[in-house]
This record gives sequence, C-alpha cells and structure tokens, in this order.
Amino acid sequence: MNVPLRQSADKVFTALALLSVVLVAAALVGILLPMMWRGGSAVVFRGTVEFRRMQLEQFNRGDSAAVRAEVEEAAKIRQRAFEILDGFAAGLDTSELETKVKQLHREFGVQIANRDIPQAQATELRKLSKELRDGLLSALEAGSKDQALSHLDEVLSHAGDGRLKGTLASTYFDLARKYHNTLTTVDLNRRGEYAESLKQVMEAMKNLFGPPSGERLPAVTMEQYGATRWDQATQHLDRLLWAETWAGSGEGRTLAKSRVPREEQFAGTELAELFPYVRNNIQAMLRPQWTFYWRYFTDDSMSGHYFGGVGPEVLGTLLVTVLAIAFALPVGVVAAAYLVECARDSLATRVLRMCVNTLAGVPSIVFGLFGLAFFVIYLLPKLGLREGSSILAGALTLALLVLPVIIRASEEAIRTVPRAYKEASMALGASRFRCFVTVTLPAAAPGILTGLILSMSRAAGETAPILFTAAVAMGPVPTSLSQPTRTLSYSSYDMAVGDKMAMLAPHNQFGMVMTLVAIVLLLNIVAIMLRGRMSKKLRGQ
Amino acid sequence: MLALQDPMARKDEAGEVIALADNIRIQNDVRHSDRRGERLPVIIRAEKFSLYYGAKAGVKDIGMDICARSVTAIIGPSGCGKSTFLRSINRMNDLIPDTRAEGMLNVNGVNVYDRRVNLVNLRQQVGMVFQKPNPFPKSIYDNVAYGPRLQGIRGVALDELVESRLRDAVLWEEVKDSLGKSALALSGGQQQRLCIARSLATKPTVLLMDEPCSALDPIATAKIEELIVGLKHAYTIVIVTHNMQQAARVSDRTAFFCLGKMIEYDDTRAIFTKPSKKQTEFYITGRFG
Repeated sequence: MNVPLRQSADKVFTALALLSVVLVAAALVGILLPMMWRGGSAVVFRGTVEFRRMQLEQFNRGDSAAVRAEVEEAAKIRQRAFEILDGFAAGLDTSELETKVKQLHREFGVQIANRDIPQAQATELRKLSKELRDGLLSALEAGSKDQALSHLDEVLSHAGDGRLKGTLASTYFDLARKYHNTLTTVDLNRRGEYAESLKQVMEAMKNLFGPPSGERLPAVTMEQYGATRWDQATQHLDRLLWAETWAGSGEGRTLAKSRVPREEQFAGTELAELFPYVRNNIQAMLRPQWTFYWRYFTDDSMSGHYFGGVGPEVLGTLLVTVLAIAFALPVGVVAAAYLVECARDSLATRVLRMCVNTLAGVPSIVFGLFGLAFFVIYLLPKLGLREGSSILAGALTLALLVLPVIIRASEEAIRTVPRAYKEASMALGASRFRCFVTVTLPAAAPGILTGLILSMSRAAGETAPILFTAAVAMGPVPTSLSQPTRTLSYSSYDMAVGDKMAMLAPHNQFGMVMTLVAIVLLLNIVAIMLRGRMSKKLRGQ
Repeated sequence: MLALQDPMARKDEAGEVIALADNIRIQNDVRHSDRRGERLPVIIRAEKFSLYYGAKAGVKDIGMDICARSVTAIIGPSGCGKSTFLRSINRMNDLIPDTRAEGMLNVNGVNVYDRRVNLVNLRQQVGMVFQKPNPFPKSIYDNVAYGPRLQGIRGVALDELVESRLRDAVLWEEVKDSLGKSALALSGGQQQRLCIARSLATKPTVLLMDEPCSALDPIATAKIEELIVGLKHAYTIVIVTHNMQQAARVSDRTAFFCLGKMIEYDDTRAIFTKPSKKQTEFYITGRFG
C-alpha cells in the first residue's frame, strides 16, 4: 500500500472509532438521562398539602401543628367549592332532597310536641307541615318543569303565614326556593347528560381534594387523600375543567376526541361557577411546595406502590445480589484457578470449558425454573428450611446464572498474570497454593473484579431467575433469608403488567427503574474504584 | 559431614542444608582452586545429565562440577541449553509441562531430580535471579520479605533480615526511606538488585543468575557485576551470560555450551586465553555463534 492511501485509511478508521464512541455515549445519554429525569420525579416533586397530611398521618412525619394549620387553611377555601357542588348535586338528584324533606317533617313534629302550645294549634301546625311536605315532594316528583314550579309556588305561598314563625318550617321554604332556582336554571330534559358529567366532576374533585371533610373515611389508604403531587393535581384539574367526548365524524371513520370546557357544558347552572373558582384557587387549595422526598429509598410502600417508597425493594435487591455474588465469586475463582493452574488440556477440561461457555448463554428463565425445581422444591426443604420461595433460593439461582461469567473473566485474568511473577514466587520456594494466593490472585484481582462488575449488574437486574425463587410483589419486609422478598426488578415488572397502578403512579415505576439503575451504577462505581486502586498498585504508583 | 561445614555456610544455614534431603553424601574431592589458590569443595555436580522437552533434548550428557564460594559462568550461543541447565539446578523447568530428566544432578550431594526432594527446600537453598527484573507488584519491603515469610519469619527478625539483605545487595542506602513504596517504581538496575536481595533473603547457598544484566544499561550492569563479585565470598554463584566480557570479568570458571552439550569447562583465564577446543575459540573470537 502506498503512503497516501495508508494515511487516508488511517484517518477513516480514526473517524469510525470516534463515531462509534460518540454513538455509544449518545445512546447512554439518550437512554439514561430521560429515565433518570422521570425517575427523579419520584424523589423531587411539588408536594401538595395532601402529601404532607399523608406523611403526617401514615408515617408520622412533619410538624403536626403546622400541617394541621395548613390543612385548615386549605379546607376553608375548598369549602366553597364543595358547597357549590353539593348544592347542584342536590338539585339534580332529588332523592336526597326527598329524604331531607321527610326528615324535616319528622323533626317538625318533635319540635311541636316539645312546645307548650294548645293541642288544637299543634294539630293544625302538623297538618300544615304535612301539606308543605306533600307539596314539596310532588314538586320533586313532577315530570315537567311547569308542574313542579306550580307545586313550589303553592308551597312558597305559605311563606308569609304568621303561625309558622319561629318553627322549622322556614327550612321548607329554603329548600323550595333552592329547588326553584335549580329548576329555572337547569334544563330538566338535560338531566341525564348532566348526571353523566357531574359524576366525572365529582370523581375529579375527589381525586383532587380527597373525600370532603365530615364524611366517613374510606377504608383504602389510597382514597383517603386527594392529589399528593402537583403533577397529579394538574391532570385531575384538567379532567375537572374539560369534558372529553369521543364522536364519530361519519361511518367507518375513526372516532375523534373533542374537548369541551365544563364551564360551557354547565353554562347557566349554579355549577358553572365551580370551575373558575377551582381554577383560580387551586394553588391555595392544594398549596404545592417543592419537596425532596429522599426517604423514597427507604420508605415502605402503601396501597400497592401508590404512596411511599421502595425501601423493601432496595433492601431485597441488595440482599439477593450481594448474596448471589458471595456464593458465586469463591466458587468461580476456584473453578477458574483449577482450569488454568491445575487442569491439563484433556478432553474432560475441554468439555468442561464448553459447558461453562454454553451455560453463559442459557436464557435466564431456564435458570429460574431450575431454581424452582432444585432449590425451592428439593434442596432447601431437605435442609430443613421452609418450602417456598426465599432470598436464599433466589440468591443461589442468581449465583448459578452469573457463575459462568465469573469463571470466564477470572480464567482470563489468571491466565494473563505474567509468568515472571509465578516463576519468581516458585523460585523463592513457594508452593503452588502459596504462589497462587500471594502472587497470582492479587495480580489477577482487577480482571476478576471486571467479571464481578458485569455479573453484579446482571444479578441485580434479572427478573426471570427470581420470579419463582425469591420475589413477591407485596409482602412484609423479610426478617430472615428463608423468606421471600420484594426486589426492584420484580416490582417494576409487576407494576407494569399489573392493574392500573402503573398509570396511577407512573412516577413510582420510573422511580423504581431509576433506583435500580442507581444501585447498579453505585455498585459498579465502588467496584471500578476498587479495581482502579488495585491496578494502580500493580503498576507501582 | 564436610558439605555441612562448608566455609561459606553460616550457622543457621547448616540446619537447612539437612532439610534438603536425608541422604547427603559427603563430597570431599576438592579439586578446583580459585584464583587465589584456595581449595574449594564441589557443591553442584552433574553426571551424564540430560533434560528433555518432550522428545527433544534441551541439554544432553552434561558432566560438570561447580565449586562453592565461586562464580561459574556458562556461555554459549542462543538455544545451546545453558538456561535449561541452569533452571534444572533448582528444577524451575518443572513449570514447563512434559519435561524429563536423565542422569544425575547433585546439589550438596542430593540428586535434585530425586522424587523425595522437597522442592520448597530446594528452591529456598538454590535462589534464582531472572533475565528481566521481576519484582512482585508489592512494596520493596514485601518483596524482600516474601521468601522469609514463607519460612514463617515474622516481626523484628524479619525487619533485620530485610535490612541485611538489602545491604548485601547494595540497595539499602537507596531505598531505606521508601521501603513501603512499590518495587515497580524503582529503576531497572535497582529492581534487579532488589530481585537479588529477594533471592538472598531465603538464605540460599547457591544463587543462579539467568542473564541478570541483559535488560540493563552499562552503569546498572557494572553495579550488578560488582555485587556479584562481592557476593561470591558467601554464596556459590552460577551465571548464564551472553556477554563474554562479563564472563571474563566476574567468573572464576567458565563453561562453554553448544547445541545442548558442554564443549569445554575450565578456569576462566584458560578459556579466554588458550581454549583447548576449536569451537570455543571460534565462539570467543566471534567467528561463530
């Protein structure tokens, strides 16, 4: 090859190498950064007053008095919104009004009985109350607006009656006026449509602010609070302010989504003022604050990962990974030492080497099933441990999975230790074992650590091998190695395939994945630093 | 038990000589003399010694006596078997698979290829310095202490031993303030002297040197040579070298090897002034090899 050609080929290779480095870096940034960004939102986010209330009540954290004051403050502003909603809902849903009217009549009777008035007057008053009640009820049951209005007018005509002064009857007239108002603003023919939309509004309100105060608390923790995070709140707010409808624009066409502001939908009704009110006061109602929730990494989760953190998952992942490495590393290094230092190049060792290489390529689910059959069902019960998945079984299965990687890396590392070291050691009278332990192993340690890094990352991230051997989606924090555990890999898988939790709390799923990546990175950084120090020592610096 | 009362042997070394094997024969055929006319005992004796790599002979039919407290040089062209012979003396050839020895190679009256020989003991008594300086990637102290630690020496005794061996190797003054530093930070010549100190630390009686200066510059070489001459009053040194001036400078007796055979073995002065074999003369004068 002539010189110019060789030079240009050299440049092309340099350019290609640079390109590949840039590509790898871009891929890393392109994958990791968004994941870290979204996962970070599980830890750093704008928490609302609901979040602080939840932390106080569920985890007993935060300044109790301050949070209570804040809750009071927010509740004051929320009050009006709930009043509007209740008023409108009451007008729309007459059954509630009916019970109220009937109840009122009963209370009226009691009030009359307790009063010191003549018998005849009392009977008269009771009769009047009954009349009012029936008038209201028939107005509520009336099919048409006009009928209802005439009944209401009849009831309201008694409003000036002097005999009713100072009695509960005034409430009758309040109810009647309120219903009158509803009837004049609400188109009764659109009652069905309203009811549908109102259900969504109430759902959105409940999601935003939690159950209205005074109501009985729901049993599920998740439903006891409104939106704890601002990003969640904005979504619910959007659902509150906008009605989404799917309409077909013609036969065979796809349905098109259209968004109508609910303010427009409820225009003219008293509910219409709810939407601007909530929109304008949402900050005061939820009081979002930037929150650094570092306890995310240590907190237990609640309501299936809706609240809380990934503490038990982190613990489980670390336990299973570290234990797996603790099993695999000594066995792997000894096996590699045998293959390099002791074994002759016979058919048996060649077959052994081939087996190790093949094992490295076996799908992880195969290991999982083997672990289930061998460790979970056969070996551990035989050793007197509880049958069923356990940390121990999972770690042993993972150890099998990473063993080939460790053996291969260690073999390579031991093989590349300079002969001169071994010769020097032997010439000083070291036995083969002493030579291996004092000279070969320290010199091979950086290479062995490389294998360890690879296998650690793999063990921490694998799901299939622990699927049947160690992992559970829910459950208590393990207290011994013979209990199953939650792990990050399995829990994120479970969230992804499970019910709607991945949709309800996406930040949590990203948070889990981020935590897993962070743990692997952290373990790797520690190992890489260790390796760096070792090879520095080996280079004599 | 003359071999045990070898003049170069210090008291503590006598005990270890016994440990080599139990059937030590007395060798009192003191034949050779060094330049000062002193009579010296034979410590290494090869008789019809051959070493095979598989079917190929590395050295064949070597017969040679090496005297204690002297420097014996082995010269010869590349591939002539001089390193093979040297590495047979402490059985370092065992590290190469499929080696086989024939004949007899006695050290202190014990055939080293005897099955009963304890290799650990043998190698502690027959130290070795290699062609390229090969200190362990450990500290200077740990390098020298490696051998003694294998023998179970610890504490103050170890510190004293390390210091005395570094002094023997004329390295102490240079490294006494940095014993904890990595040996790899030393220069090539210092590293080689450290390797010599490391070999001396097991208290050997014989020191084998396999081209110890071939990777060093002339100044470092001069220092090593000076060291070799200084050490011969206490140790038996066998040195393989490509450098004939070096052989002439440092050795008392010189053997010329060619194609796996020993061609000539005589006093160094005789070899370099009036060699009895044509082959030797050709090699020394540079007409061959």
